[in-house]
Amino acid sequence: MLFEYLAEASHRSFSSWKRLYSIREGEPMLDRLGSMLEGVGAEFADIRYEIKRETLIGFTGRELRTIGTNTTDGYVVRVLKNGGFASATVTREEDVPRAIQLALEAAETITATGGKQTLLEDTPVITDTVVPYLDGDPASIPIEEKLRLTAHYNGLLLDQPEIETTNLSYREIGRQKSYVNTEGTAVSEEVVTTNIMGEVIARRGDLIQNIRIAIGGADGFNRLLDRDSEFIERGRLAGRLLDAEPVKGGSYDVVLSPMLAGVFTHEAFGHFSEADIIEDNPSLREKMALGSRLGSDVITIVADSTIPRQIGFYKYDDEGVEVKPVTLMDKGVLTGRLHSRRTAKAFGEAVTGHAVAEDMRYEPIIRMGTIYVEPSEKSFEQLLEELGDGLYLVDGKGGQTAGENFTFGAQYGFIVKKGKLGPMIRDINIMGNLFSTLSSIEAVGNDMELSERGGCGKGQLNIKSALGGPHVLVRDMVVGGV
Amino acid sequence: MKKLLEKAAKVADQAEVYSVRQDSGSIEMRNGIPTDISASIQSGYALRILKNGMIGTAYTKNLLDRDQLVSNAMDSLKGEVEAGFSFPGAADLPDSAGADPGVEKMGFRELHTYADGVLEQLRGKVEGQIDVYAGRGVEEVSVVNTTGLDVCTRSSDMYLYASLLFPNTEASVHRLHIDRKAGAFPEGELDDLIALYKSGLPEVEVDSGRMKVMFMPDTLYTLLWRIGAATSGKSLYNRISPLQDKRGQRVLSEKFSYYGHANDPDNYEQRYFDDEGVPTRKHMVIDQGVFSGAILNLDYATKLGENPSGTGYRRDGEPVSALPSPYLAGGRIAPGKRSLAEMIREMDRGVIILGVLGAHSGNILNGDFSVGLNPGFYVENGEILGRVRDGMVAGNVYDVLQNVVAIENHLNTSLMGGKYPALLLDDVSVAAKK
Repeated sequence: MLFEYLAEASHRSFSSWKRLYSIREGEPMLDRLGSMLEGVGAEFADIRYEIKRETLIGFTGRELRTIGTNTTDGYVVRVLKNGGFASATVTREEDVPRAIQLALEAAETITATGGKQTLLEDTPVITDTVVPYLDGDPASIPIEEKLRLTAHYNGLLLDQPEIETTNLSYREIGRQKSYVNTEGTAVSEEVVTTNIMGEVIARRGDLIQNIRIAIGGADGFNRLLDRDSEFIERGRLAGRLLDAEPVKGGSYDVVLSPMLAGVFTHEAFGHFSEADIIEDNPSLREKMALGSRLGSDVITIVADSTIPRQIGFYKYDDEGVEVKPVTLMDKGVLTGRLHSRRTAKAFGEAVTGHAVAEDMRYEPIIRMGTIYVEPSEKSFEQLLEELGDGLYLVDGKGGQTAGENFTFGAQYGFIVKKGKLGPMIRDINIMGNLFSTLSSIEAVGNDMELSERGGCGKGQLNIKSALGGPHVLVRDMVVGGV
Repeated sequence: MKKLLEKAAKVADQAEVYSVRQDSGSIEMRNGIPTDISASIQSGYALRILKNGMIGTAYTKNLLDRDQLVSNAMDSLKGEVEAGFSFPGAADLPDSAGADPGVEKMGFRELHTYADGVLEQLRGKVEGQIDVYAGRGVEEVSVVNTTGLDVCTRSSDMYLYASLLFPNTEASVHRLHIDRKAGAFPEGELDDLIALYKSGLPEVEVDSGRMKVMFMPDTLYTLLWRIGAATSGKSLYNRISPLQDKRGQRVLSEKFSYYGHANDPDNYEQRYFDDEGVPTRKHMVIDQGVFSGAILNLDYATKLGENPSGTGYRRDGEPVSALPSPYLAGGRIAPGKRSLAEMIREMDRGVIILGVLGAHSGNILNGDFSVGLNPGFYVENGEILGRVRDGMVAGNVYDVLQNVVAIENHLNTSLMGGKYPALLLDDVSVAAKK
């Protein structure tokens, strides 16, 4: 009975989403947006309208905590006037004229107060509509099936030894984006992400340990199917952590797992490849000049959001620019940077299509998309042998960057003695400095893995921040221990 | 809102509508000039309905179709999510201070004038780059329900943030001033910031080991996040709290008291009701080291058989899409008796943490933390020698908060919300590259 009703409910929610879109489509949305910009007294203006549809099913332990599908929408306006570039965001259509007025006032204030003068890099005028490739369109899958699958995986986690509870959610986000600017670009693109993710928590007396799990992507619902073994493994790992020892603080040589190498790359280097991070700091800009050697000659780093079926995939960014693959570092030498139209012009470098917003509440900022270390030649066993004594650290547990300093956490690890894996360790956080750490990368593995979830929080949440790489050997990392 | 509530009331035993409207603007001045100005006008509505012991939820930002929102909540209701609680009834609450007219009307030029004033006071006095940020905001939050509650609060804030970057880095020391009304930094604050900056100019290498560690107010969220997780009704109900079954027991140093004071008149974000319409009050969580009160929303209060504590907020993401969950608004640590200068003089050897990286990593539920210093200043014999190169501080809150040496006698507004004193602890692990 419950499942039958939910199937009907899912269909109604889907219809309501389409209906909301059609309300806005009294005239075609792109034309409608274009007419909103008519007569704007500025050299350049653009407007983005988004409908965001979210389905959430959440469990805590065996208790279903939330289920439902909801839809929101809103507008983002930007104007460039006399060199001043500013933005305003509003929820309601009737507030769009006010948004334009505010953005104009802000742009005029920048100019009148001697602020930053902006020019935009020229880009091709584009008219296009992009429909995502989906292996199983989640919008057409009954919510009963989503609930059943999430409950099944949740049960697998809870059935493992010493598991006390879980926090596990199915989250599906569809963004229907419509973008128009005064140069004539008019792009509509839909991006859909589906995930089942959360944490499994083990307890023994006062000791509590947790392990994260995430599956999903941007290529449809079917990616979530037949993943039992991963949930069973993660549940068992959480139980095993109860017997792991806290790592002792100090400086270690480490081998990072592919996912952790991805987090390391994202935090230690990736954010500094985002031009807006360094553009207003002259000393950092000088240090990050293209052609500078920042890493050892074994490390090559690429940002490529054009790889199909990955969570970081999209075709156009949120200023209507087609995204391009960028080799950020080639054998340790800085070779590329991620740009918006504004920063590309300011740096005199090629525009790359990386201006992305979380949703309709935000103006776009420069985001990584898919970033990874290119695999090389060494096997995992060879890396451990080269490591000798040190730590093997596995899977990311969040990271943070501030200036050239960064941290990231590992979910668990192992002590390595003479190239052999030893006891399991926990409570592992690592700190480093961009300008000293990349040169400490000694060897790169021949395997490769990309993450199935995003979640970078650079002011806005980016659920499409994919990362990954092979195993990587790094010397002399500071590890905080309890 | 009322029309939406009426429609929902026709299909449910009880209904509640939460709405929020936010109007804000900000200016960034990096390296001495305005680099970005932005504005935002956002609104949203969240509907909760109760029927036959089940709850249904729905939200939207743009209330175009009330019937659809009710229909979405009904669809959610049929998911059979259990809810044993009722919505609170009518409450006779004091009038809030309201939004300040000066902040409400403030334009970008005025905001720039405030930011530029800060810049003028700092310019030429430090070697590195100076960044100044300023912003203003007005927020209106309303909760109405079918059991008679109809409350609304309107508030404003204006902030100034100054950041002094150490030469050739992005590491910095900073100060935040935030108030309900428009205004400049209190006299002397920026001079103190300059003095702090100069003391941290040398970069020093430090031996790893256990030593005294002082958490400055902006970094205390590292510890409080973990205490908040352990004292949350959600953790206690699901039996994953290290403080399980320890209510009324001393779990931390008796020098340490932690509470929420959302209705404190000195609070720029003063609230007389939480996001479920429950009246707020001073809510003790740790009282002189004793675990005295859990942080509860309506749901977990009912599940644990306790009274609601006025600590249910929509904090996990955008307000309308987040469900109310336990959250301690207006967080406070009870101040001690020493001045900051006296506390530094008491440090024979140790680290002052001015910023942290990675507070969200690690095993929060277990109380473990391992954070990068960003920056941390090294102290020997009561004197700051410089900022630590590549250092981390780690521990478990239930261990390190047994060793409270001293607490500052002043509450400072924290970047992460709440007002806290500096906290000096002994015997904490510091790892560094040397």
